[in-house]
Amino acid sequence: MRILGIDTSSRFNTVGLIDGDHILADFTWEAGDSLQKIILSIDLVLASGGLTLADVDGLAVGIGPGSWTGVRVGVTVGKILAYATNKPICGVSSLDALAYQARDVPTLLCPLINAGKENVYAAFFRPRGETVVKEGEYYVGDIKGLLKTIKEPALFLGNAAHLYRQIIVEELGPLANYRGEGDVQRGSVIALLALPRFGRGESDDALSISPLYLKESLAQALLAKRLTIS
Amino acid sequence: MLLLGIETSCDETAAALVADGVILSNVIASQIDLHAKFGGIVPEVAARKHVETIGYIIREAIDSANKTPAEIEAIAVTSKYGLVGSLLVGVAAAKSLAYTLKVPLVGIHHIEGHIFANILSNPKMSMPHVCLTVSGGHTMLVYVKDLCQYEVLGNTLDDAAGEAFDKIAKFLGLGFPGGPIIDKLSAQGNKKAFNFPRPLWRSRTLDLSFSGLKTAVINMFKGKDSSTLPIADIAASFQEAVVNVLVSKTLQAAWQKGVSTISVTGGVATNRRLREAFSEICHQEGQQVFFPRPDLCTDNAAMVAAAGNARLKYGNVAGLDLDAIPNAPLKGVT
Repeated sequence: MRILGIDTSSRFNTVGLIDGDHILADFTWEAGDSLQKIILSIDLVLASGGLTLADVDGLAVGIGPGSWTGVRVGVTVGKILAYATNKPICGVSSLDALAYQARDVPTLLCPLINAGKENVYAAFFRPRGETVVKEGEYYVGDIKGLLKTIKEPALFLGNAAHLYRQIIVEELGPLANYRGEGDVQRGSVIALLALPRFGRGESDDALSISPLYLKESLAQALLAKRLTIS
Repeated sequence: MLLLGIETSCDETAAALVADGVILSNVIASQIDLHAKFGGIVPEVAARKHVETIGYIIREAIDSANKTPAEIEAIAVTSKYGLVGSLLVGVAAAKSLAYTLKVPLVGIHHIEGHIFANILSNPKMSMPHVCLTVSGGHTMLVYVKDLCQYEVLGNTLDDAAGEAFDKIAKFLGLGFPGGPIIDKLSAQGNKKAFNFPRPLWRSRTLDLSFSGLKTAVINMFKGKDSSTLPIADIAASFQEAVVNVLVSKTLQAAWQKGVSTISVTGGVATNRRLREAFSEICHQEGQQVFFPRPDLCTDNAAMVAAAGNARLKYGNVAGLDLDAIPNAPLKGVT
């Protein structure tokens, strides 16, 4: 099964192509121009893999959490490609995709995505067999609040893990682990995560697929607060 | 030629199919109810809703015209002028379709879309003409030399006219959006009850300004018990001041360019008093005035498809790297 994976939710945007568990192509670039480059990148990756869009059996799209503006590009492109080609689509959490890249590390996995001002999107995962399993809910909030809940060695992944490295090491000391690789989203990994779901005949509804924001907009939050007070 | 138009520059998610000047479908999902509780349009809320809605709207535009995606021959999308987070969703959708269907993509300026709303509604409207496009997001005077040939004559220096309506309605506790509410209320009020300022009215410039008028209204009634205020008179007098400025500046522009055809378009072009005043004065002055059909006044994608069709005739095709540019100037084809 040939799957095109897209993720534009974090600092690095990525498009990848797999055929079963075999990676055909991957292209990653530093974001800031997601909208301009996304289709050209898809075309590049398909051409690199010797395919056209018509040859693809399914689409996988990173739904975040991450940059709200960024993720909207990838999700919109994914849903419209799926609609126009009549191919199935799966939404994949960008946190899951980061953790999946460290599925060979037998420790608590903690991917972090920056949410600004010492806040992070995060989740805990453990490797199990060929994949990873999430423990508990997705987290959004203060990095220190998250760290207080960690009582065992953990591997920190993702761009925000490096951004907040000082805080993490101060708080956790020897429990905090890092590695050089697997900290950048890869389109092929987004596709690999969708593979078992497609294999079971599952997919998401293309027209309704939406980003995983985890946080309401500031205006919505203020409105809710005002309604609670009054 | 069968074109799909897509428009998401502000708070309407819209898609339409237009073939050679005939509208086959014109689907618009308004977010007005969603934003009403904030008293105005919240960009992040708008962008989120566009992503949720865009796929359904495009499908409905195609299905309700009894067409299939494969029959579409070109895609036109509003890529310039508006809220960047909103524009981005439409552009991402448009280029995905253009890539999949292997058809040309055209990027349209939002104001150009409104200019074409009237050309689409009134095919007999002559060129050149002067176009006033006026809504909650913009107020602009454009000399339309020919199809896709523009000279911007004037622009608002502060608030858009529709924005002033919104702010006055909010101040008077009337709700959002303010335009239709004030329009309706004004019918029961005396438009001469208060002589509010008409900013830049007597000035030679073709630029406009509504901020001072809005402040004058607010300052006159600030701190007063709203239940004692003559709301309908205030609404009618405020509306009259806005209408006077819009009509006189547009006529001034028409005289300056020596044209006898005036096009009034955009959301505020639905305002009854504005239509009445333009019709009266244009009749006296020997000008012909045109308004779009009501469903093409507010943001829609049929106008975008019409503009795209015209641009395609000039060979004006965008690349798949088309970007969303929130504050791009209006430019014709060269």
